[in-house]
Amino acid sequence: MRLRRIGIAVTLLLASAGCGVAGGATASVSGRDHLVVGVAQDQPGLGFRDSSGTYKGFDIDVARDVARRLGATHLTFKPLTSGQREGALRSGDVDMVVSSYSITQERKTQVVFAGPYYVAHQDILVRGAETAVRNVRDLRGRRLCQVTGSVSWRRVTEEHKIDARLVPASTYGECLDDLIAGKVDAISTDDLILAGFAAQRGNQVRFVNAPFSDERYGVGLRPGDIRGCEDVNKAITEMYQDGTAAKLLKRWFGSTGLNVTTTVPQFEGCG
Amino acid sequence: MTITTTPPPAPARREGRVTGRLRIRTMPGRIRALAALAALAVLVVLLVTTLTVRNARDGLRVIGHDAGPQVVATGDLYFALSDMDAQLADALLIGGDAGLAGRRAAALKVYEQRRSEANGALLQGSRLAGTDPTEQRTAQEMLDALGRYERLAGQALLTDEQSRHAAGPPPAAVTALYRQATDLMKLDILPKAYNLTLDNGTKVRRTYEAKRSAVLRGRVWVALTGLLLVVVLVGVQIYFAARFRRLVNPFLALATVGAFVLVVVSVALLSSEAGRLRTAKEDGFDSVLALSRARAISNSAHADESRYLLDPGRADTYEQVYLDKSEAILYVPAGNLDGYYSLLDEKIGGSDFLGFYGTEAHHITLPGQQAALRKVLAGYQKVQHDDRAIRLVATSGDRRAALTTKLGGGTGDFDAYDQALVALKDLHGRAFDRAIASGDHGLRGWNVILPGAAIVLIILILAGVRPRLSEYR
Repeated sequence: MRLRRIGIAVTLLLASAGCGVAGGATASVSGRDHLVVGVAQDQPGLGFRDSSGTYKGFDIDVARDVARRLGATHLTFKPLTSGQREGALRSGDVDMVVSSYSITQERKTQVVFAGPYYVAHQDILVRGAETAVRNVRDLRGRRLCQVTGSVSWRRVTEEHKIDARLVPASTYGECLDDLIAGKVDAISTDDLILAGFAAQRGNQVRFVNAPFSDERYGVGLRPGDIRGCEDVNKAITEMYQDGTAAKLLKRWFGSTGLNVTTTVPQFEGCG
Repeated sequence: MTITTTPPPAPARREGRVTGRLRIRTMPGRIRALAALAALAVLVVLLVTTLTVRNARDGLRVIGHDAGPQVVATGDLYFALSDMDAQLADALLIGGDAGLAGRRAAALKVYEQRRSEANGALLQGSRLAGTDPTEQRTAQEMLDALGRYERLAGQALLTDEQSRHAAGPPPAAVTALYRQATDLMKLDILPKAYNLTLDNGTKVRRTYEAKRSAVLRGRVWVALTGLLLVVVLVGVQIYFAARFRRLVNPFLALATVGAFVLVVVSVALLSSEAGRLRTAKEDGFDSVLALSRARAISNSAHADESRYLLDPGRADTYEQVYLDKSEAILYVPAGNLDGYYSLLDEKIGGSDFLGFYGTEAHHITLPGQQAALRKVLAGYQKVQHDDRAIRLVATSGDRRAALTTKLGGGTGDFDAYDQALVALKDLHGRAFDRAIASGDHGLRGWNVILPGAAIVLIILILAGVRPRLSEYR
């Protein structure tokens, strides 16, 4: 209990330190020509770097569209793993993160979230021959891929208290290889990511289609960048109102059979 | 200005060096120039003060009479919409259960009431959206979507009545219709209402930052130009004393005192206006916005509890969303709902938690706020205790018992919590209204006072120099 108390005190201190930076050193994403965007490089459909080094995917297109609406003319993408995202924002290595980055209250103590720009749902991917897994509870006793810095495995083992055996990996791309190689039995993360994997690997894998959470994909910003957060929210609203979001969702997930939502999500709020 | 800083006791000596610059050779000309300079200084003070007062007025208008009240209106709209869906879920859960028929009728009555509130608010779209075309379009889209929602809700209720199911999850046909309705509400309508609230919050924050700093900067300029005016008037006085051997020119003396008083009063007024803007924003508005959001999230979490019972196929998602919303309201670092319940019990007496109530608990500024907040927290704790009991019964498999637990104490406890929350929000709302009203009151008449004072000062200056001029006729 004492430790928790100290933990909260430290969190509060960090949060207030973040606020303190707001008026001074924090460079807002608003009104800048050049932005550095942290993205994933191994998630087909969302954030993926192809063999020629070009970034592609829904997150990449959202980042481009938002940056354009903010007035930035030059974008640099920087690959980040799930576990690097808060640190990269806090150290100023990147200006924003668009990388299937779920808004959670815990992360909100570290960074500012604009959006969400999309609400995905956590689901399950198993090998094509596996038929016994129908929902999250069927993961009991099975080997589940655990990606460092991701909240997905926690939703299974902590929130739903399902006794799966966690097998660590550093990226979801690695999980997919492990799944096919038989080193893990299931990957559980967002439907958008899994749909991309399923489209890529055909019959080798099976998408279970039993969603069990709302994952609100936010645009991560540096602590204190309230103005940037408000501007990003405005950009996302416009992205939905003028049909760009619907077009992007169709481009990247139209062929997966996922039922996508094309209306603007409820924002988290910047303050 | 050069004339005041270098009074001309020896103009002849410097005449050669400053060729090309305006030199006034005759005494009446110099007197007139001094009078014009003093009048000009009066006009500069008038201009700077008027502009600064206008900034204060604009700030009060946007914060106090435009975006501020719209936050409350959109918050109420969200509540009405969210509660419609919650009441619909309750009615569908009760179904044809004879023992609970009264509760079903009550839920439908509240549904109708919320429907008319929401429709009323949306039809007055301009009150919610102001003149912003994007926001007006949003209000129109919400009105259309609400029409579709009501149609789906009607179908769901009808199918539910025909099925005459026992209390608990309704038949699949009803659930399918409810899913369509609730998805429309949760994914389309409610986000728009919530985002309108946030938009207005943004408007207030930006106006506040821009206008308050403009008032504070303007205050410095009023003081500086006012000081300059006093220096000019005193300078003219000294010049006359030296030239005409008069000790005091009463009109000029009066003008000097008048100018001094005007500047002091203006600076004091601007200081207090900046202070009132700050009070309205930080002690009133910020909390009203945060608590409006807390109320919206609380109500939708409460509805998620009903949906959890109504739609077992989505129960996992509804439970996760419930935890996520609870953490937004009051954050303690728990990994799951059970952990949340127990950490909440442990922490709620103190203030080491985050979320909307964390922010509120760390910013106690109003008399009665602490007590009102304690009531809210106690109510919230009770609601979470009820939630734990409901889920415990539900996971044991007895959905009817879970429903009666919810309808038994749960609904009443939630209403009590909501009332405590509204009371706390209103406490801040009154502080906000008071600050805005006194801000308005402070500025009342300044449109007349400022030009009036300037005219009087100029008349006094003219009256002061006229006898000196007449000596040369």
